[in-house]
Amino acid sequence: MALIEAAGLMKHYHSGESELAALAGIDLSVETGAFIVLAGRSGSGKTTLLNILGGLDQPDGGSLSVAGRDMLAMSNSERAAFRLKHLGFVFQAYNLIRVLTARENVAYVLQLQGMPKSRRFQVADQWLDEVDLAGYADRRPDQMSGGQQQRVAVARALATGPDLVLADEPTANLDSTTGEALINLMRHLNEEHGTTFLVASHDPMVIAAARTLIMLQDGRIESVTEQR
Amino acid sequence: MFDALSIYLRLGWRNLWLHPLRTGLTTAALAIGIAALTFLSAMNDGWMQQIKTNFALTVTGHIQIHARGFEQSRKLADRIDDPAPLLDIVRQVPEVRLITRRVRVSGLASSAGASGGALVYGVEPATEKRMSRLAGFVSQGGWLEPGDDRGVVLGDGLADSLEVGLGDKIVLMATTPQGDIASEVFRVRGLLHSGVMDVDDLTAVVTLDAAQRWLGLGKAVTDIVVRVKDFNAVASATQQIRQLLAARATGEPLETLSWIDIDPMAEQWAEFADAYTWIILAVVILVVLAEVLNTMLMSMHERVREFGLMGALGVQPTQVFVMVVWETVILVALGSGIGFLIGGGLSWWYGVKGIDLTRFAVAFSFMYMDPVVHPLLRTKSIVEILGAAVIGALVSGLYPAWKAARLQPAVALREL
Repeated sequence: MALIEAAGLMKHYHSGESELAALAGIDLSVETGAFIVLAGRSGSGKTTLLNILGGLDQPDGGSLSVAGRDMLAMSNSERAAFRLKHLGFVFQAYNLIRVLTARENVAYVLQLQGMPKSRRFQVADQWLDEVDLAGYADRRPDQMSGGQQQRVAVARALATGPDLVLADEPTANLDSTTGEALINLMRHLNEEHGTTFLVASHDPMVIAAARTLIMLQDGRIESVTEQR
Repeated sequence: MFDALSIYLRLGWRNLWLHPLRTGLTTAALAIGIAALTFLSAMNDGWMQQIKTNFALTVTGHIQIHARGFEQSRKLADRIDDPAPLLDIVRQVPEVRLITRRVRVSGLASSAGASGGALVYGVEPATEKRMSRLAGFVSQGGWLEPGDDRGVVLGDGLADSLEVGLGDKIVLMATTPQGDIASEVFRVRGLLHSGVMDVDDLTAVVTLDAAQRWLGLGKAVTDIVVRVKDFNAVASATQQIRQLLAARATGEPLETLSWIDIDPMAEQWAEFADAYTWIILAVVILVVLAEVLNTMLMSMHERVREFGLMGALGVQPTQVFVMVVWETVILVALGSGIGFLIGGGLSWWYGVKGIDLTRFAVAFSFMYMDPVVHPLLRTKSIVEILGAAVIGALVSGLYPAWKAARLQPAVALREL
C-alpha cells in the first residue's frame, strides 16, 4: 500500500468576489522511501499541496490517506497527534523555536512523544551529530547560521522516526553551497534511513536532486518524471 | 506531568525575556501596583485593628450582656437584678478570659462653678483594670481602689469643663429606676486621657458598690462585660453565650451583644473596611488585566508563526493554550512577587516603626484611632491580594491563550 494516496484534491482561496483554484484536482500516490520534489512556479500550488498532505490545511474536495489513515476524517486534535507520530516538517525559515537550544528543539518533539528526559537528549545529540552539528547543541537559533538552523530542523524532523518528511522550500533562504549541502544531507538520510521525503521547491539544485520530480502548474500536476 | 510542565515553564520564562525591556516595564508596573495595594491593604488592616482594639478595649469589652432593651433605652429600669448566676453561666464558655460587672447611667456632673453631662460607670476597680484601658489612661492621680466608694475618676475633658482637679468635690446626679433624681458627692481621685473625645469629655468612673448604693440598685447591674481570648473568638463566644443564656429556666430576658453590635460606627467601619478590601482586590485584578493582557497580546501577535510551527510539529491546541496561560502566570508571579515583597516589607517596617499622623490627631480621635498608625499584614489579606493577582493573570491569559490555541498551522505559518 502506498504511503500517500490522494485523489481529486481541490483547494480554492477566496478574495472578495474572486475565487482562485490553488489545487484543481490532484491525484498522487507516493511509495515509502521516495524522494520527491514538487516543482513549479510561484502560485502553482506546491505549498498548498504540501500543507494538505501534512494535515496542516484541509482540501475543499477529494480524498487523502497518509500511512493508511484518512486525513480528512480526523479532527484538528487527531491531525496534530498524527503529525507528531508520523510526519516531520522542514520549512523555508523560522523553523526553530527561538528560545530553545538546538538540542532542546530536537528534544522537544521527542518530549511531546513522551520519551523520558535522559533518553530524548541522547537521541537529540545523535541526530545533531548525524547532521554535523554536534558542537552546536547548546546554541540557540540566533547563534547559528541559516544553514545550521535548517540542519537542526532536519534533525528534528527525523528524530521522531517519521514515515514522511515534508520540506517546503528548505533552501530558499540559503546560499548555494549551504543549500547544496542541505539537499545532499536530505538525500543521504533518505538513502540511509529509508525515510520518505516530499520537498516543494523551485530551486534548480533541489530539482536536480529529485528521484521523482512532479511539476505543478495552476494547481494541477503537469508532469511526473523519474530522474534516477 | 512535571516533565510536561517544565518545558512550558522554560518556554514561558525564556519567551518573556526575549523582550527584556517590555517584560521589565510590565513587571515593574505590576510590582509597583501590587506593592502599593499591599501597603494600602496593610494600612487599612492596621487602622481597623486599632479601631477594634481601641473601641472594644477602651471601654466596651468584647461582649456585653444586658437586660433586653437596655442598649436602646439606656434606662436603669432595664437592668439585671441578680447577675451572679449569669456570671457562672458565662464562665462555662471556654473562650472567656475575664468577666466584670458595671452600672452604666447617663447623668449630670456638677462642681461649684459648672455642670455638664456625664456618662457614669460604676465598676469593679480590680477587674475593670484588666478589662478596659480606663485605668491605663489615668494621666493624673490614680485609679480607684476597691472600697473607695467616695472616689471618682474623670475624663480630663469633663474635668476641664467642670473646672475641677484632683481632690475637688463633684456631685453626680442621675435618675433612679423608680424615676427619682438621686445625687451623690464624690471626690476626684484621678483624671484620664484616652485621646477619644467621647471618653475624655463624658466619662466619670465610680466604684460599682457606690453606684448601686447611690442609685438604689441593690445588687443589680446594667452590664456584664466579657473579654474573650482574642477578636477572632468573639463571634463564636457570643453565640455560645446566647445559647447558654437562652437555655435558662428563669430570669429576665437578656441581650448579648458583641462589641461590633454595640456601636453602629464600629459596625460601619468594619463594613467600610470590607468594601475597601473589595475595592483593592478589584483594582489588583484590573491592574493585572490591563498590564498583562497588553503584554501577552503583543507577545502572541509576534509569535504567530512560532505557534504555527508548534502546531505543525504536533503540539495540541490545548498544550498551546496551557503554555500561554503559564507564561502569563509566570509574568504575574514575578511582578506580584516583587511587588508583594516591596509592599510587604514596607508594611512590616512601618508596622514596627509606625506612621506618625499626629497632625490629624483630632480627626482620628473621633474614630477611636491612634495618630500613629501601624500597618498590619494579615494572612487573609495576603492570600486575597495574591489570589486576586493570580485570578487576574488567569483571566488576562485566557484570551491570548485562546487565540493562540485556535490558530490554524497553515495560516499561522504564512505570517511573516
